[in-house]
Amino acid sequence: MSFHLQAGRNAAILLVAAGILWSGGAGLPGAQQAQAQVPGPEVCAGCHETQVKSFLGTKHGNKVDARTPMNQGGCNTCHKGDLAKHVSEGGGKGVGGMISLASKTISQQDKNQLCLGCHQKDPTRLNWLSSAHANQDTGCTSCHQIHTAHDKVRDKLTQPNVCFTCHKEQRVQINKPSRHPILEGKVSCSDCHNVHGNNPKQMVKTTVNEVCYTCHMEKRGPFVHNHQPVTEDCGICHQAHGTTIANLLKSRPPFLCQDCHATSGHPSQNAGLPNQRTTSTSNLGTIARGCLNCHINIHGSNSTENKATAGRFRR
Amino acid sequence: MRYRTNETLRLTALAAALVSVYGPAVAEDAQGSVSVGGGAWTNDRHQPGMYDGMRDKGFYPNLDADIQKRDDDSGLSWGLKIRNLGLQTREIKGEVERQGDIGASIEYNRIPKDNPFTIDTRLFRDGTRELVITPSIAPGTGEDLELKTVRDRYTAKAFKTLGAGFTANFAFSTENKDGNRQWGRGGAPEFAIEPINSTTRQWEAILNYAGERLQGSAGYLGTSYQNSNGLVTTNLTTPSAAQSFNLTLPLDNKSHQFFVDGGYNFTPTTRGTFKASYARATQNEFLPTARPGLTFPSGNAPSPLSPTHLNGKVDTTLVEAGLNSRPITDLTVNANVRYRNLDDKTPIKGYVYSGSTPTVFNTPWSYKTWTGKADATYRLKDGFSLLGGAEYSSQDRWVPDKGVKYVPFRSDLDEWTVRAGARKSMSETVNGSLTYLHSKRDGGHYKTPNDPTEPAENLINPLNISDRKRNKLRGTVDWSPTDKLSFQFIAEGAKDKYSGLPYGLEKGTGHVFTLDGSYQLNQDWSFNAWVSFDQTKADEHTQNGAGFKDNNLKETGTSFGAGLRGAVDKLKLGADLERFRSVNKYDQDLTGTALSSALVPVQDITNKFLRLKAFAQYPIQKNADLRFNFIYDKWRTDDWSWMYFPAGGTQSFTYGTGTDGTTVFADQKQHSVFGGVRYIYRFE
Repeated sequence: MSFHLQAGRNAAILLVAAGILWSGGAGLPGAQQAQAQVPGPEVCAGCHETQVKSFLGTKHGNKVDARTPMNQGGCNTCHKGDLAKHVSEGGGKGVGGMISLASKTISQQDKNQLCLGCHQKDPTRLNWLSSAHANQDTGCTSCHQIHTAHDKVRDKLTQPNVCFTCHKEQRVQINKPSRHPILEGKVSCSDCHNVHGNNPKQMVKTTVNEVCYTCHMEKRGPFVHNHQPVTEDCGICHQAHGTTIANLLKSRPPFLCQDCHATSGHPSQNAGLPNQRTTSTSNLGTIARGCLNCHINIHGSNSTENKATAGRFRR
Repeated sequence: MRYRTNETLRLTALAAALVSVYGPAVAEDAQGSVSVGGGAWTNDRHQPGMYDGMRDKGFYPNLDADIQKRDDDSGLSWGLKIRNLGLQTREIKGEVERQGDIGASIEYNRIPKDNPFTIDTRLFRDGTRELVITPSIAPGTGEDLELKTVRDRYTAKAFKTLGAGFTANFAFSTENKDGNRQWGRGGAPEFAIEPINSTTRQWEAILNYAGERLQGSAGYLGTSYQNSNGLVTTNLTTPSAAQSFNLTLPLDNKSHQFFVDGGYNFTPTTRGTFKASYARATQNEFLPTARPGLTFPSGNAPSPLSPTHLNGKVDTTLVEAGLNSRPITDLTVNANVRYRNLDDKTPIKGYVYSGSTPTVFNTPWSYKTWTGKADATYRLKDGFSLLGGAEYSSQDRWVPDKGVKYVPFRSDLDEWTVRAGARKSMSETVNGSLTYLHSKRDGGHYKTPNDPTEPAENLINPLNISDRKRNKLRGTVDWSPTDKLSFQFIAEGAKDKYSGLPYGLEKGTGHVFTLDGSYQLNQDWSFNAWVSFDQTKADEHTQNGAGFKDNNLKETGTSFGAGLRGAVDKLKLGADLERFRSVNKYDQDLTGTALSSALVPVQDITNKFLRLKAFAQYPIQKNADLRFNFIYDKWRTDDWSWMYFPAGGTQSFTYGTGTDGTTVFADQKQHSVFGGVRYIYRFE
């Protein structure tokens, strides 16, 4: 395909995108502006003592930071409603139009707007609205606990269990024998994924490889002899969440390698298990490290040894 | 073991000293806790203990702390977090900030990894880079080698609010890696170890702006990788040119990236976003096999015409723009276009020569990718929504035209994806969703290796570029029959079909079914449980000599878990049970070409892991608890990766026949019990 044809197609996509109308007026249903003089948290504590006490211990409750709910209207910043009416009428669920972020009867998108009013300005959340999570109607409070200084999803030891609320396949994968140290809290989901962003696969960087290179920088080369899939996407051969095969491989050599390599001799041989000690490469393509018993530098090699097979990652 | 215990005791003493220093400062108004304790494992746990620093049986002291203090008048707050101080997995973080104004943090984090195998070998290191292998040892007569790697990472971060909506962020991290990985000699299927001693550094400076309509950030990210070793030479005991293999390692490299990322609110309901970045990665170290004085097998010494430096240079450009709008209350639309160009500008030169004719060249790869996508969500009545979207991706792949190729390549790939779905939300009892995805990938003609001696190389579909049709379906149901009882069911299915050239991956499928339930019996007691079934299959049609073979690979997993939390008076109790089982089947049709008499058919592999954890926590003071922990780990496998199969019964894998003799032992049955106690002090 020529570059011009691609450019034409993508310009069309851009035009479609640009042609989308935008208009005002789709604000938060039922949400009301914070009252000029609203009762402060000390009044709310009369009935909601536990919530207010925990709120005051959070970053939201910081009295010096002018941006916090504490300084932007108190409880009413998020629980938007007629707080004065709520108080004067003796409180109660929904009295004064107060909003509970735990309510299932308000759409997640509307609830999220309450948070985005401040948090969309954060560099890691600039693209929330076009993220996969936003498109799936995921609420901020689906993952975050607001009234605590110890939000489970912000602690790398407890974070995976929050993510597993929806991502069940990964709950099993991280317990497979070949895995990252996620169970131990040394690697967490958010080390690789920006769940508030819109990068492909919700990665923290723009590609899978850029993320992997953060910790595995030795794999990025460039090498004299580059293995093509390595330069394209680590995910072609590896399943980062966990597998039953060493080194997080998706499939076991030689099966994985034979998905790309067909040639006479040992690379295309049957998989089998040797019945005796052997040095035969034809018999050592499956056990131990499989093909990697000899092709040791499979991510890339810098050897200039003068061999016709120098590009086969054996040195 | 003695070293580890001494080390952990030293660190525990250090932490205790830190706490004693900070103690008076936090005695007033501080929040958080400090816990000190220890426990012991009854057996080695080579597989389950791979990452937790407790691989060997024995006693492990430990200290954790999480202390925060905030001065409400000045807004100054500080925190100290210590986790696993007594273990190899220790991490310490200190931070101080005036929220919304200025702050800084410093952190230390160690990640150990213990190789789960015990290796009996006579391999030893001679000097800094020479590995020497004693040939032909009787299996089991070497010395035990337990491989381990350790990452020590130090991170410093700071931010400062500059006013007028601007904030500056700085970060620097350095990670030292140390240890050895299991490797091979390359020139022969023999044992070797790979030294990974290296340092990775990253430094970043970002300027953020947050205005009412415009928000964005611009910055610089630099990275460097420095390897302590560029080459490992392996020799048999008596060095000889024929047996001297020079194994290269990754060389020092670095990168610099400038980026900008932002969003603009055109209206309260319409937002545009943009990203742009430019990065350059380089590698220009002296190529280690060009070093004078190295010994090579006959005829393999590098040609004098071969370059001594790669002059590697990879430039990556990214430009992206997006639009999100909610033109009417019930409709949300997203559109995004993205252009990414990874341009490997490394000069192509001959590195292997036949006389004065270059025969093997370096292999830079470049990719230029356009992606455009649009999604929409329309909300109907009663919490129902309809979802739809489409995505198109087009990639130019630059294929080197010099040197030997081993697989077919394509210079362009295109993929269309469409998504559709429906969702029910905002109900107090039943919510759910159903989504469907279809994609189709194809591309231009294949550039085949065209080696007349290897015609089969022209006949395979590499899995990452072959024509592919993908269908995925995902359904979820959340059911809360009462406030105290809830269930969640998720089912996913995916099917890939590959086509094009005769050989390669033909079909792949994957299914996951899970059911979760939770029940809140009362204010004190709650129970949850889950069960999961997953299965993946891959059907391959591959070459085998002059014939072919079909492989049907299948992995089936069945897992479940349960958790209980409760309290009896002041005593808090809890338990969690998890069990994972996976079965790998390798169904290889050998009717095309029979299996060699030196081989037995590939056998199924079953892995099982069970972990039971329980605790009891009792307050001994108003602000102090005693906590008792119990863990039972059980690991079972019949993985044959490190075995061979004589008629008399399976044996641990031993390298070589007349050379090496290194044996790798994989313990297939591991179980261990942990008992521990902690004293927890809470600042209140």
